[in-house]
Parts: sequence; structure tokens; C-alpha cells
Amino acid sequence: MIPTLFGLTLLMFILERTIPNTILASQYLNPQSSLPQTIQLQNAYAQLGLNLPAPVQFLYYLNNIFHGNLGYMNSSYYSGSVASAIIQYFPNTAQLVIFSMMFTLLIAVPLGTYIGSKPGSVADHASRVFSITGFAIPAFWLGLMLQIGLGKGVLDSPLSVFPLGGIVSNSALPANLPSWLINPTTGGLSSSPTHMILFDSLIHGDFALAGNAFLHMVLPIITLTYALLAGLLRFIRSGMVDVASKEYIKTARAKGVPERIVVRRHMRKNAMIPAITVVALLIADLLGGVVITETIFRYPGMGLLSVNAAIEFEIYGVIGTTLVFGVIMVVANLVVDIVYAFMDPRIRY
Amino acid sequence: MNVEAEKSMKRSDRRNVFAMNSGAFMRNLLHSGAATAGLIITVFYMLLALLDAVYPGYLGVHNDSTMLSFLSGGITSAPPTPPVFNQGWWYYFGTTTSQIPIFPSMLAALRFDLGYALLIVLAGAGVGLVFGAASGYFGGKIDELMMRITDIFLSVPLIPLAIAVTFFLGGTFSDMAYALVLVSWPSFARLARGETLHLRSQSFMEAAISAGSSRGRNVFVHVIPNVLSPIFVQASLGLGRIVLVFATLFFLGIVAGDPYMPELGQLLVMGEPWLVFGVWWPIVIPGIFLIVFIVGVNLFGDGMRDILDPKLRR
Repeated sequence: MIPTLFGLTLLMFILERTIPNTILASQYLNPQSSLPQTIQLQNAYAQLGLNLPAPVQFLYYLNNIFHGNLGYMNSSYYSGSVASAIIQYFPNTAQLVIFSMMFTLLIAVPLGTYIGSKPGSVADHASRVFSITGFAIPAFWLGLMLQIGLGKGVLDSPLSVFPLGGIVSNSALPANLPSWLINPTTGGLSSSPTHMILFDSLIHGDFALAGNAFLHMVLPIITLTYALLAGLLRFIRSGMVDVASKEYIKTARAKGVPERIVVRRHMRKNAMIPAITVVALLIADLLGGVVITETIFRYPGMGLLSVNAAIEFEIYGVIGTTLVFGVIMVVANLVVDIVYAFMDPRIRY
Repeated sequence: MNVEAEKSMKRSDRRNVFAMNSGAFMRNLLHSGAATAGLIITVFYMLLALLDAVYPGYLGVHNDSTMLSFLSGGITSAPPTPPVFNQGWWYYFGTTTSQIPIFPSMLAALRFDLGYALLIVLAGAGVGLVFGAASGYFGGKIDELMMRITDIFLSVPLIPLAIAVTFFLGGTFSDMAYALVLVSWPSFARLARGETLHLRSQSFMEAAISAGSSRGRNVFVHVIPNVLSPIFVQASLGLGRIVLVFATLFFLGIVAGDPYMPELGQLLVMGEPWLVFGVWWPIVIPGIFLIVFIVGVNLFGDGMRDILDPKLRR
């Protein structure tokens, strides 16, 4: 894990230093600072170590990262330090990821168990078609289709109730913003304590706002869940089919254990073990999907921040978000390994 | 013994796609309905892509030099006209922004996407094959270091990494192609390494070494030809994925440059502003065209994998 993170920062460093020094320094200006530009440029050179040899520059780079100093960006979505941009945008992404992962598991585990215990049934064939399309439908196209079909104001149907984008409607916000919705330093809209507006409004008892925030999340969650579900469902199913031919399942049936218990206790528990490794791979797909989904639904999260930074040529925005995506994935893989060892006592590290 | 080597030992009955005679291979492939459908769809799309080369009609112009003059600014100055639907056979799927006909645009986009995706997958597979085979063959510290390098590339999700690399290489179309090679090779390297570990323990390798074959010769003459068939399957599955990522990056607007680039993601970008006016065909039709292609390629790849590795078939 540590060598991977080290290598990741090295890769990002190499990518970053393909840009000429003058541009690197000129992008390293804090848009909110009152210092004159010449002094800020000198500070940028000193902070990045741009006049020093490349290996020393890398040490400066690591030092900056450890101090949470990821540079500055001045794009239409955020103007200020990249670290604070990530602090503001990350919880929104977390909100989406948590719900998509939760819905995926809630649907895939029971459904996978069911179709896995009845291979060759109609449900099984339907799930096969579903997973083939799940791998093939591009997330951006699915998002657009959902906007047409279910988005408010495109087609006038009773189902068109979901907002086309954003995180919360302005009309749903209270007329006088309470203190928990205002960021004390910038004065902008930012909820506390968790920074996830859905959970914060539930904590503070504003159920109308929570409902509105959830309504904004429905279409992005469907888009994200669709692709994830296709992969996981197929995998749980094949795990179940694999386990079904094992001797201990025959033993359980022979001694008269009810079929329901055989499926739930004997088959599903063993079929889930290989599925856990797939979850780690799915997290990668999920984070990639987040970038696309957030861009289509204008959901202010890490993905939108990263795409916006790339389009508006914000070097440090791109580096910062990519590093965070990498760190999330490394940590997620670690968690999956721990869960794996916990679920399967035969595995010891 | 290494865990991965043990795993691949179990797959020792894997047959080699290049060693198998082509008749047997085709019989196996056609035995599965899904794989046959995949093969038919893939071949059909390849022919469609060739149709564009024979009869180019992108931007509604049937002549290459006129098309270039349109690309160099003529069409951008024209006021955007609303798309129309079903006007004569050439306009059968209607038009998108600036009255660009959708059907020939899709053909041009397919030729473009398919051509570059093939190049990218071949380059990625080639790099990954040599890298992985060398890593697995030399083993020890070199293997450890080389696998750490692939870990780094695999530690960032594909799309954010592709965005970052495209951005830092310069953000043009060719930069995106290089970036996709850079992000797609590690999975091939992993696969090639696993296969190589398995091959190393086989007696023909021992024979080659005792006959005095050099290490370079061992890797290029003995290991790589034997690793080719699983890599080939992975590449056919990767083709669909690369086309998807291709379209995605264009759709997100990461690739700076020509807004009239014939590309499936770019076609959707052209149609997107008209969506709120109820104009559905510039989005829906290219989308379905893309999905059917990906489904076909994936079915074909799955079918091939089933033939090579019957144990995976469930």
C-alpha cells in the first residue's frame, strides 16, 4: 500500500513537471491572496522548489502533499486552494458512492442468491440480458436517457418528477439560511457537521430539504447502480452455481436441511467470498462512473471538479482530484482485503 | 511455489487458439448462439465501417475536399438549424446540429473509433505482453519492481487517470490515444505475467534452457507465442471497453479540438443541446448504435474465452 501510494505521487509528479515551470508557477497563485503577483510568483518558485534539481523538487512535492498543500485553482466551480475545494466537494461524492454501493449490495445479494439457486430459469436468462446491457450501455447515455424519461420538464409525464441536475433546489432552501448551512469562512452554501447535505438536514430535522436533496440524488444513483449491479449480480450468481456442486451441499440436502436454509446458510455464505474481491474492482468502476455521472447531472462532487479543472486548464485541480481518487481506491482495496480475511478465516496475511 | 503459479497450473488444459485448427475453433464458436451473434454483429459493424471508406458522407458531403473546406470553418459560421427526422434514405435517421446527417456520421464515427481503438488495444496489448512476459520470466526482484509499477497504474480508476494523463500530455486527440495506451497496458501485463509463471515450470522451457537458449530468446521465442492466446481474448474484450472510454472522454469534453470530429461521443455532444426541445434522435440513435456494437464485441470475446477456458463457462 505505501509503495503504491509513493509510486502514485511519483507518477503525478512526473505528469505535473511535463508542464513548463513558468506555467506551473503562474497557476500556483492564490486567487484570494492580497499579495502582489511578483511576490506570489517568488513564493510559488520557493514552495515548489522549481529552481532546484528534479529529485529535490520531488521531496518538496511530497512535503507539500503531507502538509495538505495541493496548490490553487481558479475555475468556475471553485476559486481557492485545491485542498479546501476537495474538502467541500468530496462529501457530495461520498454521499453518492455510499448510496450506490448500498443499493447495489441490497439488490445484488438477494437477487444473485435467488437466480444462482435456480440456474436456467427465466429470471436467470433475464439477468444475463441485464448484465450484457449493463456492461455495454455507456453511463453518459444512460444518464441522458434518464433525464429524458424521468427528468422534470423534458417529457410531461407523471413520472417526470426528478430534477435534471444540481444538489438541491434553491426553492427548497429556507429563506434565511440557518447557521449550519453556511460555511463560516467563505459564506457560501456548505452544510455541517458531515458536509453531506442529506445527512445534515436529517440531523437538523429539516425533512423537506432532506427529501429534496434525495430527489436530486435519485437519477445519479440509478446511473451508477446500473453498471455496478450488472457486474456483481453475474458474479454472485456464478459463485452460487459453483458452490452448488460441492460435496457439503449434497450432504446438507441428504441429511434433510430445508432448501431455504441450504441456500441461505450453506451456499450464499460461501458464494460471497469470491464476490468480495470483485467489490474491490467495482469500486474502481464506481469512481470512474462518478466522474461521468456527476458531469451529466451537474452534481457538485469530485468528478465534476476534476472534469471542470481539466477543461479550464487548472493543473493543480487535476492533480489533486486524481491523487484523491487514487488514495480512495488504495484505501478501499485495503478495506476489502481486511473484510476478506474476516469473512474467510482460511486467509491469513 | 507462488500462489498465482499454482492457480495457473490448474488451467493447464487450456488450449492454444493459434495451435487449434481454425475449423475446430469456428465449430466451437458457432456452437454457442451468443458467440455466433457476437461474431455476426462484429463483422457487420466492420463492414459498416468499411462502407464509410467507400462512400464517405459525413457532414452531408460526399467529397473529401469539400468536407475539408467545411471542417476549416465553413460550417461553423452557419447558424445552427434545428435537426429534422427522416428526409430521404440518406437522411434516414435524421440530422443533428448544422443539418449533419446522422447515418453517414455514425459510419464515419464508427470507422474512426474502431480504427483508433484497434490501434490502442494492439499497442496496449503489445506493451503489456512484453512487460508481463519479461516480469514473469525473470522473477525475483525485477518481477517485484515491475509488478509494483503496474500496481501504480491500476491504483487509479481508469477514467480519472485517462483524464489526467490526456490533460498533461496536451489535451489533443493524439494525446488521448497515447493516454489510453498508457492506462490500458497494465491489465495485459498482469495477465501475461500469470501465464508466464505457469509456462516457466513446464518441461519445454527446461529443455530450451538446457539447450543453451538465451534469456531474451526464451522470452521472445518460447514465452510470448504461448501467452498470445489469452492476451488475444483479453484484447477482444478490451476493444469494447476502449471504444466506450473513447466516447466518454469525448463526451466529457476532455479532448480539445475540432467540434465536428466524427466520433460517437462527439455526435452525442452535438445532439445534447436539442434534447430539451424534444429532439431525441441525435442522442438515442447513435447511442443504440454504440451499445449494439459493444454488446456484439463483448459476446464474441466471451465466446472466445469460453472456448479457451471451458472451466469458466457456467
